[in-house]
Amino acid sequence: MRSCDVCVVRNRAICAGLSPDELDSLNRIGRHRNIAAGQALIWEGDDALLVANVIEGVLKLSTGTRDGKEQIVGVVYPSDFIGRPFGQRSQHSVTALTDAHLCVFSRNDFDSFAREHPELEHKLLQRTLDELDRARNWMVLLGRLSAAERVAAFLLDMSERLGNPACEGNAAPHESIELPFGRQQIADILGLTIETVSRQIARFKADGIIDAPSRRSIHIVDRAALTARAG
Amino acid sequence: MRSNAQAQSNLMWPYYPDLLARAVPRYTSYPTAAEFGTDVGVAEQRSALESAQGPISLYAHIPYCSQLCWYCGCNTGTVGNGARLATYLEALTQEIALVSALLPHGSHIGRIAFGGGSPNALTPIQFARLLDQLVVAFRAHAPQISIEIDPRDFSPDWAATLKGAGVSHASLGVQTFAPHIQAAIGRVQPTAQVESVVAMLREAGVRSLNFDLMYGLPGQTPDDLQDSLARTIALRADRIALFGYAHVPHLIPRQRLIKADALPDQQARFMMAAFGYDVLTRAGYVPIGFDHFALPDDPLALVTQQGVLRRNFQGFTEDQAETLIGLGASSISQFPDRIIQNEKNAGRYRMRVSSGQLAGNGGVLRSADDRVRGAVITDILCGRPAELAPYLSRTVEEGLAPFLARGVARLEGTTLHPNADTAPYARSIASLLDVYRAQAPQRFSSAI
Repeated sequence: MRSCDVCVVRNRAICAGLSPDELDSLNRIGRHRNIAAGQALIWEGDDALLVANVIEGVLKLSTGTRDGKEQIVGVVYPSDFIGRPFGQRSQHSVTALTDAHLCVFSRNDFDSFAREHPELEHKLLQRTLDELDRARNWMVLLGRLSAAERVAAFLLDMSERLGNPACEGNAAPHESIELPFGRQQIADILGLTIETVSRQIARFKADGIIDAPSRRSIHIVDRAALTARAG
Repeated sequence: MRSNAQAQSNLMWPYYPDLLARAVPRYTSYPTAAEFGTDVGVAEQRSALESAQGPISLYAHIPYCSQLCWYCGCNTGTVGNGARLATYLEALTQEIALVSALLPHGSHIGRIAFGGGSPNALTPIQFARLLDQLVVAFRAHAPQISIEIDPRDFSPDWAATLKGAGVSHASLGVQTFAPHIQAAIGRVQPTAQVESVVAMLREAGVRSLNFDLMYGLPGQTPDDLQDSLARTIALRADRIALFGYAHVPHLIPRQRLIKADALPDQQARFMMAAFGYDVLTRAGYVPIGFDHFALPDDPLALVTQQGVLRRNFQGFTEDQAETLIGLGASSISQFPDRIIQNEKNAGRYRMRVSSGQLAGNGGVLRSADDRVRGAVITDILCGRPAELAPYLSRTVEEGLAPFLARGVARLEGTTLHPNADTAPYARSIASLLDVYRAQAPQRFSSAI
């Protein structure tokens, strides 16, 4: 049995809609990778650029700045396609924030395959444009001055993207989010301290905008108010 | 029998061939590219990037086309099987990383322009990835984006990509709608194709659409030009650049494919330029500088009215940024005090950036005198009054005399005022301020 048959994101991933034969060929050029939280994704012994489908887990895309700091340039969730150039010949790196499971391809192999399968190529274009859109939103988020704006924007982004991976299509945003990582990681992603993140979440909760029934779950009570706080 | 074209041409600029006898630069910069020296390069580029101030505009050069047109003098080559283009993009990515890392923290990118060549020789996915890299590396979340488009390579996927990317400005290489001239210059693109691309671009959200048109093409008659202008007006191009074809096959070998015997002579060229000016201004276009036109509500017309039209390597522009960073082989970066050109050869460019080096290879440091003269030259080319006081020397006065005598400009005190007949002579007048061009007043005085 092909692993694609039991893939939990196959209805939403870029490969959705391929025929069994096509999935077979795609399987031959791809590899499955499990990455533990904190590990970086690299393809041993190959300097080709990579693309990947995220099956499970959350990963960060980052780049090193001149002063040696890390700049997060995006966060990816299950069923997202990682199509930005990364790997050994680019300055971007991909690091798992939680234990993650991916379907990894060399960029060249994947692009050639897409060229021969117009429907996939079309989806690849759509994903690339979505990614561009997200990159812009992320730059806006990082450009926000206040911690409240950053935390609110990040919670909204997660609620839109952390859906049930098996669901098809663009489901409505989720009002309840199970956080895949703790406050410290949110702080790292947003360039804030853990105290600031906790303080902002406590304030949103006190103002009745969100509820936080446990350390790992967030319930959005008043989406409009949260959107307003995001600036 | 008079043709339609001749019947309409009673507004014509006066033709004084002696005032146009000297070949003059287009002054997309001052000093011009002819003054670039190899003593300026990576070190000067690095320090300029590290101390860049104010809003920054980016220009990314794609030196490839799916087909080469015979008239074109641009630095471009054919795509071939696409491998060259893919390798080039890899190098461009590396240059983006190098350059963006040097800019001061918090630098603001206001604009990104894609030119070539033909940026749409890229696949839509390649373009979206390239833009993504620029957005991330330069933290450019909401730049105004413009792109040059070859209508022969456009597609619905490209339209969707421009829409998704938020491209608001596009420039179409049209040149001429006349099939017999298209055949003579190696660029066949039926009218229906151009019309369909225009419709797709509008649908995709392009607000400002430029048409590049040409006069002085082989076998081109005033009626051919009139027809192309009429179709352009009917398609409501927001901007029009009407360039004269320069036949210099000794410099641009691919122009040897164009038969020289059918080329209009200098007087016929002048009449076509003048005729184009008349037709477009009568149709409601505002003349911009000496060869551009824009509808009154286009930003290019608005800055012209405000007296802040600028000129850079892309021609006349509304862009007010003092810093333009060129990315890619042969791209030129303009800083207030220097101009740097990247390595022109794509292979050597790739070697440079893949070894982690900036690509600057030639340029010029602009002295205080260059900058003041450059500002006066820009004023003259942009068609606004120019203050000549610091430079109204005997040499300039002598050179200016024949232009004043013919009434193609007026000197009031030390201010040079343009009029309706100045445009075709603007470059020649500007060249009087250019210390790097040998001043030859006797050549002008002999014509008085």
